[in-house]
Amino acid sequence: MPNLPELNPVVHGRLRLALLSLLSVVEEAEFTWLRAKTEATDGNLGAQLLKLEEAGYVKVKKEFVMRKPQTVYRITETGRQALTEYVRALKQMLGPAADM
Amino acid sequence: MQDHTTEQELRDRLSLIESMIAEGRRNTENWGWMFVLWGVAYGLALGWSAWNHSAWAWPATVSMAIIVSAVAASVKTRNRPATTLSRAIACIWIALCISMFLLFAALGLSGRLTDHLFMAVISAMLGMAYGASGLILRWKLQFGCAVVWWVAAVVTCFGTDAQSTIVFLVAIFVCQIVFGTYGVIAEAQKRKRLSSVHA
Repeated sequence: MPNLPELNPVVHGRLRLALLSLLSVVEEAEFTWLRAKTEATDGNLGAQLLKLEEAGYVKVKKEFVMRKPQTVYRITETGRQALTEYVRALKQMLGPAADM
Repeated sequence: MQDHTTEQELRDRLSLIESMIAEGRRNTENWGWMFVLWGVAYGLALGWSAWNHSAWAWPATVSMAIIVSAVAASVKTRNRPATTLSRAIACIWIALCISMFLLFAALGLSGRLTDHLFMAVISAMLGMAYGASGLILRWKLQFGCAVVWWVAAVVTCFGTDAQSTIVFLVAIFVCQIVFGTYGVIAEAQKRKRLSSVHA
C-alpha cells in the first residue's frame, strides 16, 4: 500500500476549510460576509478564524467604516499553500475516485 | 489521521471546497439590472430630447442614472468581499462615466456638440467598455455587444439623422435591454442551480 499523505489538521476542520476556500477566491472579506456564507454562529466563527490567524493562514484587519467597526480577513500566502497542499493530499487519498 | 477518516468524509471535504469557491465567485456576477437601468435612461433621454429639444434631457437623465447606480452599487456591495476581477470591471465603468461626463459637458458648453458626434462617441466608448469587460470575463455575448456598439459608432458617422438615431436605438435595445435582461435571468437561474446543489 502506498504511503498516504497526512491531512493538515488545521485546514481539515469543516468550518476552517470552508473559510479558507472562501478567502482563496477573494482579496479580502468581512466577518459578516463570512458568517452569511458559512451560516456559522459568531462565537464559533470567531474561534475558528482565530485558529487560522494563529497558524498564520489568515490576516485580520480591524477598521472603522462610517464610525462602525469592521473586521476584514485576508488569506496569507502560507494559508494559500496550506490549502493547495490539503487539496493535493485529499485527491491523492481519494485516488481516481476524486475525479468522479 | 487517515485511519479515522472515512472516504465519505474526504469526499465531503472536497465538495465543500468546490461549493465555497463557487460561493465566493458568485459575488462578481450580479449586475444585469445595471445594463437595463442605463438602457432605460438612454431611451428616456432620447425621447425627452426628441420631444422638446431640451438641452437638459441628457445631463439630467444621465445624472439621475449615475446617482441611482452609485447608491444601488454601494448598497449591493456593502459587506461584500473585494476581488481583483470585480475591481477591474468596476474601474472600467467608472472611468467610462467620468470620460463621458467630462467630454460631453465640455462639448456642450463649447457649443461643438452635434447629434452625430454625440451618438458616435457614446457608441465607441460603450464599445470600448463592453469589449474590455467581455475580454476580461471571457464573455462572448458581452464582446458581441461591443461589436454592435462599434458598428453603431461607424454607421452614425455616415448615416442621416434618422438613420443614425434608429441605429443608436437598436444598439441600446440589443446591448442594454436585451443583454441586461438576459443577464438578470441567467443570474437568477445560476442562483437557483447553486441553491439546489447546496441543499
